[in-house]
Amino acid sequence: MATFQHPASLNAFKQFSQACAILRNTTRASNPAWYQEALDLKFQLHIRQDGASVSTFYHDCAKAQWTKGPALTDELLRDPTQLEGIIAEALRLARANGAASLGVILHIADEFATTELKPELDNPAALPDLKETAVNDPGAILADSSIQADQSSWRVIPYPAAGSEVIGSTITTSRQYSALIATLREAGEKERFPIITRALSAPLVAIMGLSQVLSPTPGKPFVAILQYPWFTALAFFNEHGDLRLIRTLQHRGLRRPTNFRNALATTNASLEFIDPDLFMLRLGAQVDTTLDADLRITFSSSRVEVIEFKATEGVPSWCPEPVLASGSVSPGSSLINSHTFTILSEEKWALQNFLPTPKEVIEIFPSRSDMRLLRVLRLARVAVFAIAVLCIVYFGFGVIDLVRRPEWAFDPSQAEITKGRLAKLGTERKKADHWNNLLEDRSKAWTSMESLSRMCKENGGLLVRGYTYAARPEAAPGKAAVGFTKEWKISGYARDEALDYLNTLNTKEGICAHFSEIARITGNSSYNPNLGTRNLVINVRTQENGSFKPVPPESANSGDESSYPFTFDLVITQRFEATDPMALTVSKAP
Amino acid sequence: MHLYRQTIILFGIIVPVVITGIIVGICFMLKSNMVSSFETKMKSFKDYEISRVAGLEIEAKVTRERENVERWNTQLAQETASAVTTNLREITEHLPSKEIQQTAFERPNSNNGFGSVAAQSSSPIRIAFRGTFRTMQQAFLELESRMPRLQLQELRIDPSASQSTLLNFQVTYTAWEN
Repeated sequence: MATFQHPASLNAFKQFSQACAILRNTTRASNPAWYQEALDLKFQLHIRQDGASVSTFYHDCAKAQWTKGPALTDELLRDPTQLEGIIAEALRLARANGAASLGVILHIADEFATTELKPELDNPAALPDLKETAVNDPGAILADSSIQADQSSWRVIPYPAAGSEVIGSTITTSRQYSALIATLREAGEKERFPIITRALSAPLVAIMGLSQVLSPTPGKPFVAILQYPWFTALAFFNEHGDLRLIRTLQHRGLRRPTNFRNALATTNASLEFIDPDLFMLRLGAQVDTTLDADLRITFSSSRVEVIEFKATEGVPSWCPEPVLASGSVSPGSSLINSHTFTILSEEKWALQNFLPTPKEVIEIFPSRSDMRLLRVLRLARVAVFAIAVLCIVYFGFGVIDLVRRPEWAFDPSQAEITKGRLAKLGTERKKADHWNNLLEDRSKAWTSMESLSRMCKENGGLLVRGYTYAARPEAAPGKAAVGFTKEWKISGYARDEALDYLNTLNTKEGICAHFSEIARITGNSSYNPNLGTRNLVINVRTQENGSFKPVPPESANSGDESSYPFTFDLVITQRFEATDPMALTVSKAP
Repeated sequence: MHLYRQTIILFGIIVPVVITGIIVGICFMLKSNMVSSFETKMKSFKDYEISRVAGLEIEAKVTRERENVERWNTQLAQETASAVTTNLREITEHLPSKEIQQTAFERPNSNNGFGSVAAQSSSPIRIAFRGTFRTMQQAFLELESRMPRLQLQELRIDPSASQSTLLNFQVTYTAWEN
């Protein structure tokens, strides 16, 4: 079993490491019994030590079953090193009964003493604080200044009765069974099986259970006389059933206290109890059974009655504390309805743990909420790390995706090489474009002649006498390209049948049709009239031929100018703008 | 008593979250840097690709044109007048001599044609012929096909006074020179 240290002696990281180790190596996170009370656990072992004998009982809460416990002796309780086998057997039995934990309740019935509170502590409202102080700093509240806190244990018990001189007292037990409790607790740690302990004062538990069995005379106070083998405890209740005082008388080797009658009478007198009911409870197998007869003689005016707790199967009637402490008594069976019995059970004044686990031992382990937090945060860490891993994987894939792309492996120097090559090609291209432009078929003799021949067809009634073509560039200083104009001047003679053709030609559609035909036949795009950057104009002028001599058509000579009744002058102007594809590049070759 | 509470919160969640945050932050930063670097490279690559594709297109075009350009360079390297003369001689050899006769060859001093507005070197050439219409058109077609550097500046066609079947041609070219 790992040895854990108190967190105060560890640095922060070691504290966390220890908490994680506890989470990992113990069942504290998964078994809530580690943080429960012994009396709340499903399977319990009750040990009752009254000095004369040690009684043990197993209690299965779920089955409401009491069975005989292991055989223990006073020596074993005082020397717990020999308890190993018994503890192992108890754990085996608990596991066999399906329990995940074992509650061990020690009923201390071999000692019972009271220590008075400081007289100045007279505020009943401060009782809860006093209860805490009695555990942590008993010297601060006890009237006896000679107490040794490491030797004994004190627990406050209130006196709720109205008119009490004091608000309560303390019940004192020694720490003789601390080793037993520690051994049980450590065995549980070792076995990773919660063994939760609780040490109760048996008389207090018995007083708590008085309401189940006593039926006092109405309007009369009463005294409960609890006979244990080694002492007799006296609990004084007023006529309302509220506790006024607890006294204890040690037997000192005898079967009854030597000054019992005197003590009882004196206390009755001091409490101004007149003929109280005297209820005797024999809480030991071999207690004095003659005391009641003596009391009837001495306290003849009082009602003296021997009371027995209801027997429970598996538990003798003289040993009622285990049944009372475990809450096995059916609720609503109280015969006395008083504030005292209410708070003793409900506020658990009678069930105070006289030998709790030391604070420094409790603090070694994280609290239940800390364990829950640790467990939740472990899941949260897994989630956080999962998110981190997912992010890293996402980024990783993103990086791999980037690295695998051709752009990532691209060497920028290649761009420079390509740029240089592109510049070289650009220059070459510009040079080619330059010469392409200059050498464009924008003005050719053979196409002009083709145009003329198709305009003035043989036997078409036209006789051409003069033909002039001229191309003139337009001056446009500073421009990258300049437009130009081509002009055709044709003059000659025409017969009647040619006039219609000339009139047709002398229209926008007519000349465009002619140019389109030339462009199609010659493949020379400069004749294409359908571009917006070109302008085509024709002007035909016809006049009567002054030298015309009419002759029959069959005798007319096509070369005879006098046989043509008309003369004509035709001017065609084609203008190319600077934005035309055939515009002339002005610059020099690059 | 919660002696472990602070350390559990500190080491249980705060430190892992911080460490995770740092790791994720570093990854994010590295990724961002890589993405930034990648975007730069991608831009360069894109430019490179555009340049490369454009270069291929230009190269294809230039390659297609290269033969022509080389031929043009060869032609442009020849002296204009002698090239015209040589080509005309070769052309007229294959044509009927009665239908085409060169009557003049001049190199005018003034350049009023296309060469007057262009920075590229050029020279004007004026040639006169006597011949039939179709033969002359064939000769011009041959000459202008052989010498694309010739841009027609002026063309005059008149009937021949002496021979009715022949025409007088006067043609003026602007010849581009290198």
